[in-house]
Formats: sequence, structure tokens, C-alpha cells
Amino acid sequence: MTHTLDVNERISQLDRSHAIDAPTSARSTIPTRASKFGTFAITFGITFAILYTIFERLNWPLFTYHPAVGKVDFWMQRARSGEGPPMYWYGWLALAFPGALVLGWIATMISGRWLHRATIFCCVLAALWPAALAFSAFIADRASFDAEFLKSIWISAIPALVGAAAASCFVTPQWAQRVWTGWLLIVPIGGLVVLGYSLKQYFLR
Amino acid sequence: MDIIFDIVSVRTFWRFLLFVHFLLAVALLAAVTLQAMAIMIPVRQAAGKFLQRLRPGPAASYAAAIVILYVPTFLLGAWIYIKYRTYVRIPMEQFGHWWTVGSFEFKEHVVTMGMALLPAYWYFWRQPLSEEHASARKWVTLFLAFTVWYAFVIGHVANDFRGVGS
Repeated sequence: MTHTLDVNERISQLDRSHAIDAPTSARSTIPTRASKFGTFAITFGITFAILYTIFERLNWPLFTYHPAVGKVDFWMQRARSGEGPPMYWYGWLALAFPGALVLGWIATMISGRWLHRATIFCCVLAALWPAALAFSAFIADRASFDAEFLKSIWISAIPALVGAAAASCFVTPQWAQRVWTGWLLIVPIGGLVVLGYSLKQYFLR
Repeated sequence: MDIIFDIVSVRTFWRFLLFVHFLLAVALLAAVTLQAMAIMIPVRQAAGKFLQRLRPGPAASYAAAIVILYVPTFLLGAWIYIKYRTYVRIPMEQFGHWWTVGSFEFKEHVVTMGMALLPAYWYFWRQPLSEEHASARKWVTLFLAFTVWYAFVIGHVANDFRGVGS
């Protein structure tokens, strides 16, 4: 047993020194699968960006901080007279951080194939749901009949879920694996576009 | 906090925190800029001797420093944000500096997204560098550089309105 461990350690050391000394062209021989930490880190980055954007847009903070009086309220509380402006940012972080931690941990326990498909499902859903909601609201405002029901977020969830399911089912495993790390940039940039657009009131005054 | 405020005034305390935040941000800015330059300017390029001499050290050597600097800069900024919300933003709104208010609001989202990418950034820069993640490593690094630059510039603008030396 000890001997086996020693041999493994030496092989691992040899692999490591070979990888460090090797020229760039030879580095492609390094195993291509992400380690558990890599899986966690990439999933954490993607899910945090999605959760943070959702919590900010829906204004779901875990708590509200009133800095003028140093008071903390659970969940979202509007500004109260004499208590100054409320701060929600800490509350969004406090909700998004553990959520992303848990999802990152779960990602390390499922197979890569499922993880890549689940990532596509979640990212496409995150893009389609607000798009479907905006489109529904556009239709509802212009319809000649009473179409207020279209403005429900649950109605717009239906086409978004169908689209996300179709996207995650029809992509090939190879493509899903290839684009997986790409989500790490697409999602935060997409989130920033949404969050930036939500601040347009400040720039259009 | 009361013990601290017995020694220094509230104003001096927050200004000290803001100054430390600024120093950390300058160090972080230098590190991400050098790393971004190291990525963008290849080792062998025909741009002339001047650029070759300017080229910073190996990009990987900055990764640990960037992670170590980003986290406390973020946390200190999150702390100072309390003072900004009451002491700076309210007069900013009263004077109608809406672009500064909006840009600073966007800053909180930008640095948060950068913070979320730090574990992946650290993973991509772990030795031995994986050729498979070369593209992701480059773009995540450039994104981090953007977050730091944006936060630095907008933070500086807000500081000019009401901060150290304003």
C-alpha cells in the first residue's frame, strides 16, 4: 500500500515537473477535465451572476440595512420616515453567495454531462424568461382585447421553460462541454447589461 | 466603534478607511493592468524594442496578488459604501449629479460580478497552466481588469464630489 502510494506520488511529481517544463505545444496533454475545484469555481461564477441579477431585479434581499439608524430588517423593507435610505445590496449578496456556494457544491457531485446540460438549461432560461416577459408585456399593451394576464411572470415562464428544455436536449454533449466555460463570461456580461439597463433612469434625466 | 471614535473623529475614521481603500485599489489596478498587458502583448512580437522592454513579467505571477488584493478592496469598499449612501449620495442627488449616481450604482454590480469570477480566475491561473483554458483565462483576466478600472475611475469621480481632498 505504502509502495503504491509512493509510486503514485512520484508519477504525479513527474507529471507536474513535465507539465511545468514542457513547451506550450506539449501542454495540451494535461487532462482536459476540470478538477472538482474547477467545477465548483466555474459553476459558482455562473450561478452567482444569475442569482445576483435575479435578486436585484426582483428586489429580493435577504435583509435590508438602514445605515442612518444602524437597523437591519429581514427581507425587503421600504424606507420608513425618519430612518434614512434603505440599502439592499448587502441583502442581495447575502442571498446570492450561499445560493451559488450550494449550487457549486452540488455541481461537483453530478456527472459532467448532466452539469453541462443543466448549465445550458439555466442560462437559456435566465435569458428567455425576461425576454418572454418583455415580449408578453409588449403584446399586452398593444392588444385590442384585455390581455393583462400576459404580464404574469408565470405565463411567460412557459415558453421560457420549453425553450430552455429544447436547448438543453438538442445540443450535443461535445458542444455543451465546449461552451461550458464560455458561460462564465456570457452570464456576468449579460447580467451587467440587464442591470445597467435597469439604471437608465439615472442617465436619461 | 465607540472606542475608535474616542481616539479619532468620525470624519477622520471614514477618510482613513477611504484612503486605505484607495491604496489597495491602486495596487490592484497596477497588478491587473500588468497582467492584462502580459496577456495582450505576446512574448515574440514584431512591435519593436520599446514595447518588448515595456512588457511586464510572467502573467501567472500576478494572479495570487490580484486575488489577495481584490477581496480586501471589495470588503473595504462594501464597508465604506454605508457612508457613501448617507453622506455622499444624498447630496449628489440634491445637486442633480445623476450620471455619477448611476455610474456608482453600476459600479456595485460590476465589482460584484468580478468578485464572483475570482474563484474561477484563480483556478485558471493555477500551475501548471492548462492549454484548454487559455482562452477562458485570458477573457476572465481582461474582464477582471475592466471591473477594476471601472471601479477605480468611478470611485475617483465620487471621491472628487465628496471624499478625501475634495
